[in-house]
Amino acid sequence: MVSKDGYQEKIRRIYGFISENLYLNRPDLEIKGEYYNSALLFGILTAIYGGKELIIGEPGLGKTTSAEYVGCLLYRYPLGIIWGSEVSGHPEQTEEKIVGRPHLGELNKGNEVVVWSNFVQIPVKIVDEINRLPETKQSMILDGVDRGNWEYLNEILINDEYVLFATANYQDRGTNTIIAPLVDRFDVLVESRHPGPNIAFQIGRKSRLDNPLRHPEFERRFHEVLRTHMPYDQKLRRLEELCDLFGEYLMETVGVEGLKKEERQGIREELAKVPVDLDANAFLRMVLAEFSFCHRYGQKRSVEQCTEGCHYTGYICHHVKNCASNRLPTSVIGYSQALAWFLEDEEVDIEHVRMVLPFTLAHRVQWRDSYISKKEGEGRNDPLQIYLAKEATEEIFQRYNEQRDYLLEALSVAYQAFEGEEVTPLEGDHPLYEEIKKDIGSRR
Amino acid sequence: MINPFQEFKGRTSRRREIPLDQILRSKEETLSRILRGYENLLKNEAKDLVWLMQYSTVIKAYTIAEEGIKGIEYTAEDIEEFCYALDKTDQIPYLITGPAGVYISALCNHAKEEEIVLRLQDLNVKINLLGYRLPEGKRLVVEGNVGDFTGIGLDGGELVIEGSAKNYTGAGMKRGKIVVKNNVGFNTGHGMTGGEIVVGGRIKGLGKIVGGKIYEREHLIFPSEEMKPFFF
Repeated sequence: MVSKDGYQEKIRRIYGFISENLYLNRPDLEIKGEYYNSALLFGILTAIYGGKELIIGEPGLGKTTSAEYVGCLLYRYPLGIIWGSEVSGHPEQTEEKIVGRPHLGELNKGNEVVVWSNFVQIPVKIVDEINRLPETKQSMILDGVDRGNWEYLNEILINDEYVLFATANYQDRGTNTIIAPLVDRFDVLVESRHPGPNIAFQIGRKSRLDNPLRHPEFERRFHEVLRTHMPYDQKLRRLEELCDLFGEYLMETVGVEGLKKEERQGIREELAKVPVDLDANAFLRMVLAEFSFCHRYGQKRSVEQCTEGCHYTGYICHHVKNCASNRLPTSVIGYSQALAWFLEDEEVDIEHVRMVLPFTLAHRVQWRDSYISKKEGEGRNDPLQIYLAKEATEEIFQRYNEQRDYLLEALSVAYQAFEGEEVTPLEGDHPLYEEIKKDIGSRR
Repeated sequence: MINPFQEFKGRTSRRREIPLDQILRSKEETLSRILRGYENLLKNEAKDLVWLMQYSTVIKAYTIAEEGIKGIEYTAEDIEEFCYALDKTDQIPYLITGPAGVYISALCNHAKEEEIVLRLQDLNVKINLLGYRLPEGKRLVVEGNVGDFTGIGLDGGELVIEGSAKNYTGAGMKRGKIVVKNNVGFNTGHGMTGGEIVVGGRIKGLGKIVGGKIYEREHLIFPSEEMKPFFF
């Protein structure tokens, strides 16, 4: 049951404020009769869920900006602090600039003390142009990105709360591929799109000097705390006190109330409790089956090629090279819960999953070249990877609708079979029925 | 080990119903009740698959038809569906156009709508007796061609045929109006005592007419100097 404590209203106000004043955009998503901009909505969901978002787009279309505003308002850090803690991806980037460096004064005295970077210390983490980081340097941030554990020398700093936004330009001469393990760690991928000439004109008219989220005095005080060498938990408390003050300032000046740390924590607890209904549950199983199943080799493996003439040629598994990771269902369920919570729905239903799914799949799926060649020329509004993920989602959704009752029955029978009852699993023409048989077979 | 299908425990197969399902189901139910009424008519009136078109048989068939449709909630669309169901031999193996026309007429005469439009241009057969006893206040528009005895005994309603009709159109009609956009056959208006028949095309032949008016291509051809009322 979604609690009605007004957090949703607070967050909707933040969405509205950013959308109308800071990140002018064109809505490109519709869910349950309401329209949203995908980059901004997913930015907000990422912030409340504590997830990781990869934002792609042409230069200058607000990839970083959207993340900065969301981070600033939801976490109540002045914009200058968010800017100052961003990591820019470039070939010369080093661990010392990203994570931490030895305290030179202490080192001269023979002591190993780490000076942690602001990026590591504050909960809002933005990596700008992540694909300009060479692949070897991308590995450096894997663990931090995944678990919030940052290691340098013999010290470790653990973030108990963090959110990560990374931006990436489309491939050009200066970019590298984002390595597969890193890309899989992102929960969602969105595109920050051109808002259209009319809104772009309005953006051009806005004064660059007048940003209500900047506050040099507060920024100086935050920096002071970040520079001190007090224990990290103590530092966090000091930072939170400053956040409270900056939050009051935001309320007075722009009329938007950010979220306190305990409020964010409370929201995460609430949204983790949002139940997932049976349709959403079964539909997601169907999706996972199509992105992981291989009739010939047992499961998808990126090193093995799907053979022609397979019975399952008509399913998504035939068009993809790699296997869905276990992070995929985590992202889908987490973001669907966040979306349902945001919309104040009682439970996650199939519509939430259907909306979230393409954005969780887009960066994770490696499509077969032949499939890309076939599809890339089709008319579309999204970048190819999001378009293909949306197409796949709709295709599976259609299949789900066609066999929904039978599939639910099959899953119910599977429950009984797994419990050892003498029932025969239902047969069906979908990889999921095969997977059910494997699960039951392994039990018997 | 945790049962990975835990959430589906005890889930009975419950069909997800969307409003369209309900509409379709109710449509199917209505159609099957209409079909049952028609089958009952055939059982009574055409046991040997033969139906003789006589004044008394038509009256009797109409009475049985009225009994058969009693209590059925239907719309003009359902009547149209029934016509197409008649056309499909797998549903009604013995389409006899006489009783069928009487039955459809009964359905039209008792329908809730004042105006009924039947789009029958794709029917393979031409149904006879459409518009039988169409009462005052009803307007029946048929798109496509119809068979013999169209609009007989018309009782004040307006029957519009957006195509051609065959023989005995408007026979015995008392009042009301029949408009046929194209041609009609022989014995048109035979025994009619009142009302109007307006034919946009050609009339092959008139019957023995007692009263009323008949127009052919906007010209009044009955009563006229050549065609005087007939007295039985």
